[in-house]
Order: sequence, then C-alpha cells, then structure tokens
Amino acid sequence: MTALSQIEPSQIRRLTVAQGDSLASTDPNVIFTTVLGSCVAVCLYDGAASVGGMNHFLLADPAPLTGEDARLLNRYGLHSMELLINAMLKRGAARWGLKARIYGGATMREGLGDIGTRNIEFARNFLANEKIPVLGEDVGGASARRIDFRPAAGLSRCKVVSAKPAEKIIIKKPPASTGDVELF
Amino acid sequence: MFIAFFGEEKMSRRILTVDDSPSMRMLLRAALTEQGFMVFEAEDGVDALEKLETVTPDLVITDINMPRMDGFGLIEALRSGQLCAGLPILVLTTEASEEKKARARNAGATGWIVKPFDREKLGAAIRRVLH
Repeated sequence: MTALSQIEPSQIRRLTVAQGDSLASTDPNVIFTTVLGSCVAVCLYDGAASVGGMNHFLLADPAPLTGEDARLLNRYGLHSMELLINAMLKRGAARWGLKARIYGGATMREGLGDIGTRNIEFARNFLANEKIPVLGEDVGGASARRIDFRPAAGLSRCKVVSAKPAEKIIIKKPPASTGDVELF
Repeated sequence: MFIAFFGEEKMSRRILTVDDSPSMRMLLRAALTEQGFMVFEAEDGVDALEKLETVTPDLVITDINMPRMDGFGLIEALRSGQLCAGLPILVLTTEASEEKKARARNAGATGWIVKPFDREKLGAAIRRVLH
C-alpha cells in the first residue's frame, strides 16, 4: 500500500464531462475529468456541504454576431451554468457557499475568432453577476488542457496536454424541441 | 381611401419575471423588451409578492428553484389571493419532470416552458395567453 492509495483505485470512478454536460457529486470516489480546447469548464465547490460540480460549454455560434443582441448569444453558456448550479443545490450545496474556478478558453487555431476569449469573458461575467467568488483560473493560451476535479474534496488539477482535443467546434444547439411550451 | 395615420394604439403589456439568477433575468429582459413587452423583475417568490403590489403586471414568468419562496409557493400564494387569481403565470424552468409539471398545473400555473427557452416560442406563448 502506498500513501496515495487511501482510496482503493478500483473504487475510483472517472466521469467524463463532455461538452454540454453539467455534473455535480458528493461522492469521494468520483473524479470528473474533461479535455478543453476553446471550451470553458467551470468547477464549483461548496466546502461546507462537500459538494462539487463541473460543466463544459461553448458559447453559441460566433458567426451571426451582427444584428442579434449579444446577450442572447450567451444563452448556451447561461443554460450550462444554470444546470450546474441547480445540480449543486440538489446535492445540498448552498447558493451563497459556492466558489468557482475557471479553466480553458484556449485559442486553438486561427480563424475561429476569439471564441476561447469570449468563453472566458462569459464565465467571468456570469460569476461576477451571480456574486460567486472565483478562487482561480487557468485560461487562455494556445494549448489544450486536461482538468481533473474531485468534487467531494474540491480538489482540481489542470494539465496542459499536447494532444489536441477532438475539437471540431461542434456548435451544440439545443435539441429542436427546446423551449417547448405547454399551456395548461 | 383611408390612410391610417396613427396605427393602432397599443400599450406595452407588462411582464414580471421572477428568477434568482441575475444573468437569467438579464437574458429574459433582452428577449422580452425586444418583442415590445415592458419588463419588471423580482429575484424570488417573496420579492415577487412585494413587487406585485406596485407593478400590476399582465403576466408573470417564474422560475421554480429559488431561495426564500420557490415558484410553487409563489403560484399558490397568487392563486389564494383575490387580486391575482386570474393573472396568467408561466413557469420557465430547467426541470422537465412530469411530476413537477403536474404540481405546477395543480397549483394553478397557466403554462410550462422548459429552458433553454426559444425567444419566438416564448413570445408566441405570451401573446396567446394575453390575447
């Protein structure tokens, strides 16, 4: 037994946080993991409740910036953040106990505009608006990152990876049925 | 041949949005003002009940998960009063569960909209409810 194996390796569950996902957990055996290019991941943690969560998002299509209210372009990021916060609250986190770290938002190739930067700016603005303190960030640059986050302990680790993530800039649109209205 | 000089005079319909997230309130404000609605905001159910005394909206759009008083509590409070018994209330939420939807319907909600919302669908639903 080495000192590192306080948790049996066989018990550790790695959960990949894919683009569009928002996960939260109190399980000490869970590690959230993701690889980010220009996407951004926000890790939230409430130490009093030992609840952690992570999302992974890309803002809306940068192309039709003209004509559309810029605030509306943030809706994908906003939705992802809302799902993350709701997932945290459901597991016992307190809205005012949340602390954040921001990762990602690299400039992965020319011609994509400043999509990584816009993702970072969105995350910073959102967290400021929601009065969620940001404890740290590892953002920007030109390299992909791999993030590991242990939600129950609130421990995150960020490593630069040379291999590019499978980033085809899939602009995830919500499903066609999004915003469906049911009048009673 | 008559020419309409004045068009149809229209008063902006007033909407009270209730959501604990300032970012979501901002997004709703952008989407609704662009469609000609006048927007007022409250940050949870308790705040909404206070604002209702002065705002007199034509419609309320409320989130479900909120501190102090959630969306269910707000709907029940509005429906139990006399003044707001007929006020249309649309629930706008990330929740998709049938159970919660049924609970909102039983409490007296007018409709249920799942986030992320689509501006056109939201606007159409509002106009339909307001006629």
